[in-house]
Amino acid sequence: MKTQKHLLWGFLLLVQLAWAQNKASDVVSFTLKNGMKIMVLEDHSIPNANMYLFWKVGSRNEYPGITGLSHFFEHMMFNGSKKYGPKMFDRTMEAAGGSNNAYTTENLTVYTDWFPISAIETIFDLEADRIADLALDPKMVESERGVVLSERSTGLENSNFRNISEQVKGAAFLAHPYRWPVIGYESDIKNWSIEDLQAYFDSYYAPNNAVVVISGDVNLVQIKNLATKYFEPIVSKATPRAIHTEEPEQIGQKRVTVEKQVSTPNIMLAYHVPETKHEDYYALDLLSAILSDGNSSRLYSKLVDQSQLATSAFSYMPESIDPNLFYFYAVASPEVAPETLEKEMVQVIETIVLEGVAEKELQKVKNQKLVALYNTLETIDGKSNTLGTYELYFGDYKKMFEAPAAYEKVTADDIKRVAQKYFNKKNSTVGYLIAPENNTK
Amino acid sequence: MKNITIKKITIALLWLFIGVHSTMAQDNFKLPAHTQVTYDNGLTVYFVVQNEVPLVHFRAVFPAGVRYDSPAKAGLAGLTADALSTGTLHYSKAQIEETLDFLGASISNSASTEAATLAATFVNKDQYQVLPILAEMITQPAFPEDEFEKMSQRAIAGIDQMRESPRSVIDNYFNAMVYKDHPYANIASGTKKSLESIAASDLKEFYEAHYTPRGTVMAVVGDFDLLAMKQALENLFMNWENNTPPPTPAVAIKVPTEANVVIVNKEDARETTMLIGGVGVARNTEDFIGIQVINTILGGRFTSMLNDELRVNSGLTYGARSSFNALKEGGTFNMSTFTANETTKETIVLALKTYQNIFDGGIDEKTLASAKNYVKGQFPPDYETNSAIARFYTDAFIYGIPMNYIDNFSATVDGLTIKKAKIIIERYFPKDHLQMVFVGKASVIEPLVNEYGSVKVLEITKDVYQ
Repeated sequence: MKTQKHLLWGFLLLVQLAWAQNKASDVVSFTLKNGMKIMVLEDHSIPNANMYLFWKVGSRNEYPGITGLSHFFEHMMFNGSKKYGPKMFDRTMEAAGGSNNAYTTENLTVYTDWFPISAIETIFDLEADRIADLALDPKMVESERGVVLSERSTGLENSNFRNISEQVKGAAFLAHPYRWPVIGYESDIKNWSIEDLQAYFDSYYAPNNAVVVISGDVNLVQIKNLATKYFEPIVSKATPRAIHTEEPEQIGQKRVTVEKQVSTPNIMLAYHVPETKHEDYYALDLLSAILSDGNSSRLYSKLVDQSQLATSAFSYMPESIDPNLFYFYAVASPEVAPETLEKEMVQVIETIVLEGVAEKELQKVKNQKLVALYNTLETIDGKSNTLGTYELYFGDYKKMFEAPAAYEKVTADDIKRVAQKYFNKKNSTVGYLIAPENNTK
Repeated sequence: MKNITIKKITIALLWLFIGVHSTMAQDNFKLPAHTQVTYDNGLTVYFVVQNEVPLVHFRAVFPAGVRYDSPAKAGLAGLTADALSTGTLHYSKAQIEETLDFLGASISNSASTEAATLAATFVNKDQYQVLPILAEMITQPAFPEDEFEKMSQRAIAGIDQMRESPRSVIDNYFNAMVYKDHPYANIASGTKKSLESIAASDLKEFYEAHYTPRGTVMAVVGDFDLLAMKQALENLFMNWENNTPPPTPAVAIKVPTEANVVIVNKEDARETTMLIGGVGVARNTEDFIGIQVINTILGGRFTSMLNDELRVNSGLTYGARSSFNALKEGGTFNMSTFTANETTKETIVLALKTYQNIFDGGIDEKTLASAKNYVKGQFPPDYETNSAIARFYTDAFIYGIPMNYIDNFSATVDGLTIKKAKIIIERYFPKDHLQMVFVGKASVIEPLVNEYGSVKVLEITKDVYQ
């Protein structure tokens, strides 16, 4: 009876999704002759639009000596090309009412333009110029090194998470390029050459290595015409070499300690999990929500509310092209030893491994996932970013619309099974961030 | 990331994460229609129907901000707002959390300088389950002792944790310097000492004095049936009684008569984080839009003067910007940036020189035209979501922003001339007696900053802000 009720609940939610404004069929996808894939979603709620350019290059494409180059390249894409010289990309875009940003992850480099619809042709012109004819100016490279060193420094200065995650990743991965931070090592930032940059551009910045998503107050015919005029003439390049390094199976727990002036210990646990395209993804993602989302979540209720061993606690699993890590993070309450908190964190995990989760708990996170999707669909920004994310990590943007059904299929047994499969000691890396005076043991 | 100071992208934060036509399109951008109701108890509610997604955003803002704290019990406003979700007459904390989490509803409750806010987003079909809980949190909170104890302990631990990051604390030092005796100097999180002196009974007292329907505003925005929603809110809030008179205005904000420098020593600092500025403007200042356009040129976008000089031309920092933090009775203005310990002086000199340019050189036609297009072009996405629209209505009520602010935005921007820009710069951007805060290694900074004012050195780990 209980099960049936939940099935019905799930059905109602699915019906509701159909009421939301957008459907998969509202997205039009086409591929230019040079291999560049473009997706368009018309939304006339505000007189604005955006363009997201997803490049299939991130820190996983780097190697020692050029770590952080993907991210540095992200910066260099704003520093001048053939038609629009240094500074002119930003000046031209902002004068037309547009703004931009970009971000780099372990897997992707993503460029984002937000603009009033009147600026649409300017945006195509600016993007086409830097994709086709980037000009690497030695002077700009040097000043940008300072900018990126400052970006790295300010992250480490202000975020405990940054400090510890760099070390945990470095320990958890022995072979795979996920072992270094996206921003790279300081010595690499200081030493890569203009030839390294040119080689990177020639390898990865090809139209056939990109996916473009445009949402907002546009019309499809106009976008097709502009894409044909500005993007199609850019020549395609050879497909970049595949990343074939597989992380060997972990054969015992790894532990790292980071000393930093902190008032209470911060603890990170990381377990190897498969890539986003893997069949276990949805179960793991729901498990992370059960652990983390809301004050009724496992980590908050056990560690922060009941035992009060931590002042905050959460889990996190990034979308990923290759197998990556499932993280747990907690900040200890005053006077709590890191060992005590670690033991309790493991206890929360063990309880799920042994006993699984309740049906109601599972339904709760399925409901939360649906609301999260609605929140995403509320803005043209959310639409473009999420469509691109599904296209790149899940293999098809349509999966965004199918996500509620995919989550709905996950059973409590699936949650227990994935917890048992991945959350074992041998597969774990433990990181402590503690004050130097507390690291005397 | 290219720049965190202009636009934040969460994913990346975790990981390392002109033309003629434009004028027309942006001019057509209007505030969606609303219905306003004021009950006999003084409570004002705005309703706006938006159908894009089947969600509802509810937002209630109370005259219960940090400004109403007393120094001895600093942090009380924040704890009171936080405690609204720790239990009510009929619901325990766990019941509230389990019910709302199960429905995928999200709530947030906190106090900022001017006011306290309780906001929630939920699926429209759940309104009859969610709204009664929100109403009890607002009209019948219980402030249970056991939950208060836990919350208080976490808040005290949070003070030391916050002090691990310069960016989390630098505003507190700056506000203390600029606002001095005005209650806008109050520290939202309190100090360890003040938090230790607060009891659950203080929360009840603060609640009785400040959560009054007469000063409160609510906005409900989303996909709902207007008549049914109006009825629901009426049933839940029309009989909310609290006749405590609204608070009286505070002392005036005094413009500093001397330049001051505060160095906050962080022994293990790898960089210097800085704020330079002074007294700004009130949010309802008639020139607010013009001030925003000028600030865009100075430090409000990527190609701004500050970011161009300090980041693009010299590579001294990842970002430099300026902003007006405008409240009801006044506000602050500051320039902010950070740089490696070794380049601290160079950065201060360049920031001050760049700032001086807006007074000396003024602003040229081309730059002004670009900034006008920029603020107009970036304006509509600011009001794209249910929560942003709700926030506009509650801000308008709290800060006295005219209701035609959105509809007239483009025309007001277009009306800004070079001549007017000069007047705005002279009138609103502090020129003399600049106030400065530097968080970093005091032994590095102290020898560099004597020329900028009388210097005071504080410790980042100490429980004080002045």
